[in-house]
Amino acid sequence: MTSQGAFTIFIAAIFINNILLSNFLGMCPFIAVSREVRTAAGLGAAVAFVMTLTSGLNYLVYAYLLEPLGLEYLRYIAFIVVIAATVQLVEMVIERTSPVLYYALGIFLPLITVNCAILGVSLFMVIRQYSFVQSLAYGAGSGVGWALAILAMAGLRRKMKRSRVPAALEGPGITVILAGIMALAFIGFSGMVPM
Amino acid sequence: MADVLTAVGVLVGLGAFLALILVVAERRLVHSGPVRLTINDADPVEVPGGEPLLSVLRERKIFVPSACGGRGSCGLCKVRVLEGGGSVLPTETPHLLPDEIEGRVRLACQVKVRDDTAIEIPAHLMEVEEYEVRVEAIEELTYDIRRVRLAFGPGVEFRFRAGQYVQIETPIYDGLGEPVYRAYSISSPPQDTGAVELIIRKVPRGICTTFVHELLLVGDRLRINGPYGDFYLRETPAEAVFIAGGSGLAPFESILADMAARGVRKKVTLFFGAVSRRDLYDLERLHAYGERLPGFSFVPALSHPDPGDDWQGETGLITDVVARHHGAMEGMEAYLCGSPGMIDACVRVLTDKGVAEDRIFYDKFA
Amino acid sequence: MKQPPQLSQAQARMAHGALTRDGFLGTDSRNLVEILQDDDGRVRRLGLGHADLAAALQRLTDAALAHLGAPVVIDDRFEVRSVEAMGRMPCPFGHPGLFVKAEVHGRRLDTGETLVWTPLSVHLIGAHGFYQGRGSPYRLEPERLAGFLGMEGKGPEDVT
Repeated sequence: MTSQGAFTIFIAAIFINNILLSNFLGMCPFIAVSREVRTAAGLGAAVAFVMTLTSGLNYLVYAYLLEPLGLEYLRYIAFIVVIAATVQLVEMVIERTSPVLYYALGIFLPLITVNCAILGVSLFMVIRQYSFVQSLAYGAGSGVGWALAILAMAGLRRKMKRSRVPAALEGPGITVILAGIMALAFIGFSGMVPM
Repeated sequence: MADVLTAVGVLVGLGAFLALILVVAERRLVHSGPVRLTINDADPVEVPGGEPLLSVLRERKIFVPSACGGRGSCGLCKVRVLEGGGSVLPTETPHLLPDEIEGRVRLACQVKVRDDTAIEIPAHLMEVEEYEVRVEAIEELTYDIRRVRLAFGPGVEFRFRAGQYVQIETPIYDGLGEPVYRAYSISSPPQDTGAVELIIRKVPRGICTTFVHELLLVGDRLRINGPYGDFYLRETPAEAVFIAGGSGLAPFESILADMAARGVRKKVTLFFGAVSRRDLYDLERLHAYGERLPGFSFVPALSHPDPGDDWQGETGLITDVVARHHGAMEGMEAYLCGSPGMIDACVRVLTDKGVAEDRIFYDKFA
Repeated sequence: MKQPPQLSQAQARMAHGALTRDGFLGTDSRNLVEILQDDDGRVRRLGLGHADLAAALQRLTDAALAHLGAPVVIDDRFEVRSVEAMGRMPCPFGHPGLFVKAEVHGRRLDTGETLVWTPLSVHLIGAHGFYQGRGSPYRLEPERLAGFLGMEGKGPEDVT
C-alpha cells in the first residue's frame, strides 16, 4: 500500500499520469466527441463522474466481496458489470435532467461503458494497492484529467476551424496528431511525483 | 467445484443487486408524476406529467388548433409558455419567428409537460368547443372528392365566420395508435345553422381522408371542434380574386353564399383550377352566383383537359389564367385556397402583378 | 442491433400510424440502422451515390410540382405528373423543415416503366440514404430506381 496522500494522488492523476495523454486510454470518444466544446464538457463531466463512482464501488466490490472469497481473478467481469450499471444510471439521470445533452451525446453515452480508461482506472488501483480514499482520489483525478484533456482538445479544434488542414488529415487525422503533441507537452510533468 | 459455484454465485448476486438498483432508479427518474399547469393566471391544475402540452390541453377541453394532429408539421398550435416547457426543440424552430422565440412562443404539440408549467392562450381559443355530430349526407362530387354534411344535435348553435375551418377527430381504425385530428374548411354558409358541410379530397394514403372515403357512412357519429381560422372576406371596397384548387373551393362556397345572403357588394372573380374535367364540381352552382351577386364572375380553368372533355373554357396553369385575365393588380385583394405548390406559385404571380403581400390571404394549414 | 437514440426516435416516428397512415417501414422487421446499412451497400455496389439518385429524382419532382398536376415531359424520356394534397409534413428524422404532401407519377416514354414517389422520399434518399423499409408503399429499391432513372455507375466501388 503506497503511503501517498490522497490529494497528491489526485493532482498526479490529472497532470503527471493523465489517463489519456500519458496512458493513452479512452481515445475513441476523445477523438469523436471533441468537436464541440459544450458536448465535450458534457461528456467529460459524465466520464469523470462515472470514473469516480466506479473506482469507489469497485474498490468495495474488490475488498469486501472478491478478496475475502479468493475470487480476485473475477475482477475483470465484476468491474465491467459495475461500470455498465453505473453508466445506465447516469444515462437515465441525463435523459431526465437535460434531454438536449442526452440527444447531443447520442451513442457516446452508453459507449462510456466500454471506455477502457474507466476499467483501466479500476485495474490500476488494484495493482497499486490503493486504499478506499486513495482509490476515490485516483478515480476523481483521472476523471478530471480525462475531462480536461477532451476540453482542451475541443478548444483547440474550435480554434483550428480557421487553419488550413490538408484534406486527407481533416477530422480524426489531425486530432490524433494533436493528441500526440499534447501528450508530448504533458511529458514535461513526468517524474515530478513517483506513482 | 465449490470455487466455481462461489464464483458464479458472486457474479450472479452482484449482477442481480445492480439490476435491482437500476429498476428502482428507472421508476423514480423516467416516469414523471403529476405536475401543475397554470393557464392564463387561473389557479394551477394537476395534470399527468410527460405528455405533450397539446394533448394535456385537449383533455381539459381546451382546443388549440392543429391541422396535423400534433406531428409538428402545421405550426398552428402556438401558445406562450411562461414557465417550464424545456428548451425550444429543432422540430419547432421552422415555425417560429425570432421575436416569437423571444416572446416564449412554443408549439404545444412539441412541448412536453414535465415540470410545473405556466402558459398563456389567446382568449378566443378558450371559446372553441367540441361537438358531437351525425353524418347527415355524403355526396360524391368527383372520383376523389366528397362533400360531407354533418348535423349538430338539437338546440346546438354553432356560430362561425364564412371561411373558417373545423377539426375532425378521426377515430382509431386499422391499427392507428390514437385519434388523429385534421382540419377542413367549412363550405356551408353561417346562415345554414344546425349543420356544417365539408369538402374532403382523398389524399393518397392519408389518415383522415381514407377514413372519410372508405369507412364513413351516413348516420355515423363524429367529434369535431372549432371554429378556427383567420381566413374570411375583408369587406372593403377593393376588388378581389379568389383562387381555388381541388378541394380548396370549400371556404369560397361558404363566403359566396354568405355574401349572397347578406347582400355584400364586392367585385370578385373566382378562379377554379383543375387538371381535367373530371376534377371539376359544383359548376352550375358557381355559375349561378353570377346572377345572385353583382360584380361576380366565375372562371374555371383546366391545365390538361382530356380529349374527350370537350372543354370550351380556359386552359392552362391557373397562375397563367389569372395573369391573362388581369393587367396590373395594385390595390386588389387575393384569397387563395389549395395545395402549397399552387399557393406559392400564385403568390409569386400576384406579387409580380402588384398585389401587396398583406392583401394576399390564404389558409395557413396549407 | 443497437442504434443511437436519434435513430430509435426516428424509427418510432416511422411507425404505421405515427406520422402517416402506412409509415415508412412497411413490414420490415429490421432495425432502422440495418435497413440503412443494407441499402447503402446496394447503392455502392451499383457504383452510385445517394446524392446522385436524389438529385436526378428531384429534377423530375420539381418539374412535376411546377405544373400543378398537369403532366409534363422531361428530356424526351420521362413523363411526370404530380398529385398534390393540402398540407406539409416533417421528415421523420426530426430535423427542421417541411415537405409538400404529394405523389409524383413518373413514366419512361421509351420503356413504359412507371414509378411513384413523394418529395419527402427524395429528401430521405438524398439526406439520409433511406429508401424506406420493405413493404412500405413508397419504398424505392435502389436497383429499380437506378434503372428507371437510366443511371449507371462507374462499376461497383470497393466495398470494404
